[in-house]
Amino acid sequence: MTTAPASIVTRSLPYVLVTGGGLGLLAAFLLTVERLRLAADAGYLPTCNLNPIISCGSVMKTEQASLFGFPNPLIGLAAFAVLVTVGAALLAGARFHAWFWYGLQAGVVAGAVFVHWLIFQSLYRIGALCPYCMLVWVATVVVCWYVTLANAEAGRLPRSGVLLRLARYHTVVLVLWTVAVGGLILQRFWSYWIM
Amino acid sequence: MTTNLKISLGIGAVVALILALIVAAVVMFGDGRAQTPATDSTARTAPAQFLVREDSHRLSTAADGKVTLVEFLDFECEGCGAVFPHMERIRAEYAGRINLVVRYFPMPGHRNADLAARVAEAAARQGEFEVMYTRLFETQTQWGEASESKEAFFLDLAERAGLDMAAFKRDLDAPATAERVRKDQGDGLALGVQGTPTVFFNGSPLDVEPSYDNLKAKIDAVLRS
Repeated sequence: MTTAPASIVTRSLPYVLVTGGGLGLLAAFLLTVERLRLAADAGYLPTCNLNPIISCGSVMKTEQASLFGFPNPLIGLAAFAVLVTVGAALLAGARFHAWFWYGLQAGVVAGAVFVHWLIFQSLYRIGALCPYCMLVWVATVVVCWYVTLANAEAGRLPRSGVLLRLARYHTVVLVLWTVAVGGLILQRFWSYWIM
Repeated sequence: MTTNLKISLGIGAVVALILALIVAAVVMFGDGRAQTPATDSTARTAPAQFLVREDSHRLSTAADGKVTLVEFLDFECEGCGAVFPHMERIRAEYAGRINLVVRYFPMPGHRNADLAARVAEAAARQGEFEVMYTRLFETQTQWGEASESKEAFFLDLAERAGLDMAAFKRDLDAPATAERVRKDQGDGLALGVQGTPTVFFNGSPLDVEPSYDNLKAKIDAVLRS
C-alpha cells in the first residue's frame, strides 16, 4: 500500500468507475429492452437509410450483435453493474487485495478488446452506427484506461514506465482516441452525410 | 491548469475548428442538393417530373392510370428484398390495372448496390429489365452485404438469363448506364428520399409499410372509387 499522496488518476478512479459503469449499464439496459421489443415484433420490415445513425434495432439483428449466441447487452448488464459496485466500494473506503485488481484489469481489457472488435464490425461490416452502442464503446474504453493507469501507479503492472509517463497526460490519450474513432466514423460515412 | 488539461483542451479546440471549417466548406461549396425540394416528407404530392420519367422502368402499365406506385429501391438493401415478394404479389394481381414503376436508389453503404443497378440497366438495354430485377432480388442473399465486388456473380446471372454477353458487358461499363442510375438517384434525392424502399402512392410517400395487405387496401380503395 502506498503512503504517498494518491495521484489525480488514482483519486478519480472511483468516480470514473461509478459514472462510466453507470452510463454503460444504462446503455446496456436500453439495448436489452429494445432487443426484447424487436423479438416481440417479428413481422417488422427493415429499411435501409441514407443516415447511418440508425435505431439500434437494425444493428441488433446482425450476427455480431449476439457474438456468443445471446444478445451482447446481457454481458453489459452484468459487467457494468460490477464496475459501479467496485467504484462505490472504493468510495466507501474499501481496500482490495492484488488478485482483485488483476481480476478487474483482466475484465476491463477483455471489455476493451471486445468493444474495438464491435467498432470495427459496426464501421466496416455492418455499416451502421447505433447511439447506445457508441455510449458503451466510450464507457468501456474510459474505464479500461483509468483502471490500467491506477494499477500501474500502484505498481501492480510489470514494466509500467510508459504507462506512468502517459498517466500524466491521461485525458490527452482519451481525447486522441476519441478523435481517432470520430475520424474513422467521418471517413467511413462521409458520402452519406455529403449526399 | 495542468499540462494534461491544456493539451486536451487544445486538441479539442483544434478538432472543433477543423469540423467547423469542414461544415462551412460543405455549406458554401456543396451543390446544395440537401436543401432542395420536399425535405419535409409529409404527405405532400411529389413533383410529377421527378417521380416518373419517360425512360423509367414500368413493371405494369394501366390504361386508366388511376393508381401509380413508384418504388425507389436498392437491390442490395435487405428491406427492399423483404418488400420484393409483396411487390411481386401486387404486380401479379394488378397487372395492367395499375402503374408500377421502379427507380434506382443505390445506397452508398452497400458495396455492390451501384453495380447491381447498372446490371439491371444493362439488362434493360436488351429489354430484359424485369428478368434481371427479379433475379437480383431472388439471389440477394447470395451476393448482398459483401465487401468485395460481385461482378463475376452478376455476369454469371446475366449469362444464365440468356443475355447477349458482349452487349451486356459493354453496356455495364458504359458511362451512359452509370449516368442513368445517377439520374434516378438524383430524382430520389430531389423528392426527399432518405432510404429504401421508399414507395410513392399516387405522388405521396406511402404512410404505411409497403406490405401486400397495406398496398392492396390502398389500391382497392382507389380502384373502386
